[in-house]
Amino acid sequence: MKRTKHIDLDLMRKGLTKRFIQGPLAVGIAAVSLVSCSSQEEVTVVSSANDCASKTELNLVECEAAYQKAQVEAERTGPKYNSNAQCEAEFGGGQCTQSRSGGLFMPMMTGFMIGRMMSGNSSYGGTAYNPVYRYNNRNSSQYNRIMTADGTVIGKAGQGSYRVNKSTMSSKPTVTRTVSRGGFGAMASAKSSWGGAKSSGWGG
Amino acid sequence: MFRMPIKERPNWEDRADEFGFMFHSMHGERYWDERAYYQFSLQQIENDIEAPTEDVHQMCLAIVEKVVADDQLMRRFCIPEIHWDFVRNSWLNGDPSLYSRLDFAYSGTGHAMLYENNADTPTSIYETGFWQWLWLKENVDAGVLPRRADQFNSLQEKLINRLKDLQTLTPDRELHFACCKDTEEDRGTVQYLEDCAHAAGINTHFVYIEDIGRDKKGNFSDLKDQVVSWMFKLYPWEFMFQEEFGGFLGTNNVRWLEPPWKSILSNKALLPMLWKMYPNHPNLLPAFFEDELHLADGFDSMVKKPIFSREGANVSIIRNKSEVAASPGPYGSEGYIYQATYMLPKFGEHYTLIGSWLVDDEAAGISVREDSGPITQDMSRYLPHIIL
Repeated sequence: MKRTKHIDLDLMRKGLTKRFIQGPLAVGIAAVSLVSCSSQEEVTVVSSANDCASKTELNLVECEAAYQKAQVEAERTGPKYNSNAQCEAEFGGGQCTQSRSGGLFMPMMTGFMIGRMMSGNSSYGGTAYNPVYRYNNRNSSQYNRIMTADGTVIGKAGQGSYRVNKSTMSSKPTVTRTVSRGGFGAMASAKSSWGGAKSSGWGG
Repeated sequence: MFRMPIKERPNWEDRADEFGFMFHSMHGERYWDERAYYQFSLQQIENDIEAPTEDVHQMCLAIVEKVVADDQLMRRFCIPEIHWDFVRNSWLNGDPSLYSRLDFAYSGTGHAMLYENNADTPTSIYETGFWQWLWLKENVDAGVLPRRADQFNSLQEKLINRLKDLQTLTPDRELHFACCKDTEEDRGTVQYLEDCAHAAGINTHFVYIEDIGRDKKGNFSDLKDQVVSWMFKLYPWEFMFQEEFGGFLGTNNVRWLEPPWKSILSNKALLPMLWKMYPNHPNLLPAFFEDELHLADGFDSMVKKPIFSREGANVSIIRNKSEVAASPGPYGSEGYIYQATYMLPKFGEHYTLIGSWLVDDEAAGISVREDSGPITQDMSRYLPHIIL
């Protein structure tokens, strides 16, 4: 056979599950899309090293290490704002702090996720300490939800455990402060002006 | 190789909606056309297209090896000098590639002749990898085409496998996809590749080319201010080199798909270089740089192509030193190359071009495009094919 043996047509359909709710300002809030059970796992959200030691099978030393890693991850990947007020509008009064590098404001980590699988399985390692935040904007339908640094909502605050997509536990891209945009794309618009409206693209 | 009329699937437009194939018609005209298909024999596919595709691709890689080592050639390929190291290093580091498409003139007999290499931003991958695959499956299921009908099209399977490998080669990075605004075709193409990346288990993001930002240190960012560390861009390298943010290329830590060395392959200067290194190769047409036209004295008809050109823009056919056919377009200020005229085969009223896809170094399938004129452009129609 010279062709692809099998294509899962359900994965190729473009339906409602592919649309995302766009959140306000810098935090793009992605609704957790419907995913098959096999790609989900159960995580515990803990608020401190002590909380971690009492709720998971990790001991206090391991929990301290997990907490430190989550802090570093939060500094790197958490949402960043130019002012404290902008940050507090989304995460609540007194919930924001200045980042160590660069003077930007970011929400304080509400806690961090620990994958159940990690307990007793050291090889699962570094990726399982993701920081989470409690979203506190009363005007949003996502109010009081727990989310990861990239805005993925994992559920309502206060639950003992959450079922999340495995990718929720992966390390997030670094978040920075953008100083300018629009530095690419000028030649495409210059070249498209010769032939009227452009409907097809720059591919070949 | 035959052109066979066939009834359209009665519900194909609904199916297109269902699967999000939005650009099947453009400017009110058909782009996807299933009123006919092309039929190949297995021998034609394997001997005349699949094997030459992989051979020509290897020859092209040998050209890259030669060009990156030679300043004069880098200049001939119009790579701006400030980006030489960026292009060179990507080749010397072995930056992996995802895919490309070679365009051939092929009539069913004789050799497939290389027109050009779309190595940087090839499109029509969704129509090829998925949509014509679905067309065959549904026509076979409906009993319209025989059960043993096959297709040269393992594109989707190979793309997903390649993307899995790329994730292994690019650990701890999430993949940003990018294309220009206001082009349904490009957005659809990129969406398809995002779907393939998801199937390969890669976490992805999307940002329009025009929305890409930068921070103080020169890192690129998306609209969520997330730093781009790995990017697939459906946007030509030769544009990026010249634009405002081009100066940050190579200074920030980004892995690119396609990698920067592809700027040497998507470049029409490749064609005269191939002819120099592999003269009289059966799949190559004689081709010359503008300042070497004296070598082309024996040819009374040449095709003049800009060094940078997409979708058949600014191509003209020169016969006895005067233009007989030309396509309009915005390219050409960087110079031209000349390729011996080799007309596309005609099936009825239609000029037919074969696009032969590669995933990394492996031939992975074909697309068939038809045009009413001899220069295939972006409004030419896409027809499905079978092997029987």
